[in-house]
Amino acid sequence: MTNELVTADGAWSAATIWLVIVAAGALTYLTRIGGYLVISLFGSIPPRAAAALDAVPAAVLTAIVSPVLVSGDWPERITILLCAVLSLRLPLIAVVVIGTVLVAGARAFGF
Amino acid sequence: MCFFALTLTSTLTRLSDTTEHSDAAGDRPARSESADALREVLPVLLAVLPFGVVYGAIAVQEGLSVAQAMGFSSVVFAGASQLAALQLMGLGAPIWSVLLTVFALNFRHVLYSASLGRHFSSFSFLQKLTGFFLLVDPAFGAAEVRAAKTRLTASYYFTYALILYIGWLLATLGGAGFGRLIEDPEAFGLDFVLPVYFLALVMTFRKRGLFYPVAGTSLAVSVLIYWLFGPPWHVSLGGLAGIAVAAIVGPQPRSGDSEGEERGVEGP
Repeated sequence: MTNELVTADGAWSAATIWLVIVAAGALTYLTRIGGYLVISLFGSIPPRAAAALDAVPAAVLTAIVSPVLVSGDWPERITILLCAVLSLRLPLIAVVVIGTVLVAGARAFGF
Repeated sequence: MCFFALTLTSTLTRLSDTTEHSDAAGDRPARSESADALREVLPVLLAVLPFGVVYGAIAVQEGLSVAQAMGFSSVVFAGASQLAALQLMGLGAPIWSVLLTVFALNFRHVLYSASLGRHFSSFSFLQKLTGFFLLVDPAFGAAEVRAAKTRLTASYYFTYALILYIGWLLATLGGAGFGRLIEDPEAFGLDFVLPVYFLALVMTFRKRGLFYPVAGTSLAVSVLIYWLFGPPWHVSLGGLAGIAVAAIVGPQPRSGDSEGEERGVEGP
């Protein structure tokens, strides 16, 4: 990353953010039309590659969340474990609301 | 909003009117195809809108302008990857790692387009290009279900997908306006929305074969890397470790119907 891409306080400049937005959009479109293009050109996706692709969301999302267990304070750690259990039963949006309210509540009481 | 979507839909479908009229399923007028799509998309829209609001609010809190938040929603149209990008930008991650994460999170669409392309055969070239652009999780689920029952028409598909797209943009705008008003986001627990959202999202994939070995490996590697080196490497390396497990073990029979769990709750 060159200096023109960041502002004085280390945040990304507006131009950098727009660059990321456009590039992210192009990459996302590539995934949305990619399977069709691959099938049109080669006929099929190999089973092992399909299994790896299938695992991508679970693997990447887990890797994003996990540090809460080591970096968060106790309210965050306990809430994330509780929400893991709740998500076995409740719809996604309910889990998000409950988790956020619990953490906000714990902070309001000074934990 | 819905009226706007229908107008856009009729513009897009008019392009293929000549083929539409002559074919067997074309006995059903485009209007009733759109009505079916409308009826089926509305509950999904209600589930999707809150995430657009959350995304818009967090984007503004992370320093994006309203125009940037809207631009991101309009070109990417994939909530989980947009939120992940915000999280990484907040950590000061390098640009390539943000793009790699967006690409990795959206890679599932490759499988969608591989499958759905077969049902787009009656679409014009322009409709195919637009149709793949709008291919979010619920649209994929609905189109596959529709194609199993009858022929998938452009009227049905574009009504369904465009309403989600416009809803996503309006929700982003609402959230961005709302987010600017909040002075102390941590008091409301807003910084915790992303982790708990990703956690709940991960759990919707638990019926997939290999879920526990994949997620367990990602968890262990991510925590280890975060503890040893700090952000942002834990995302890429933790993710790759889980994917490697799936690639090494190979294809597994799925332990249940995976269609239902992904429809509606995940996308866009």
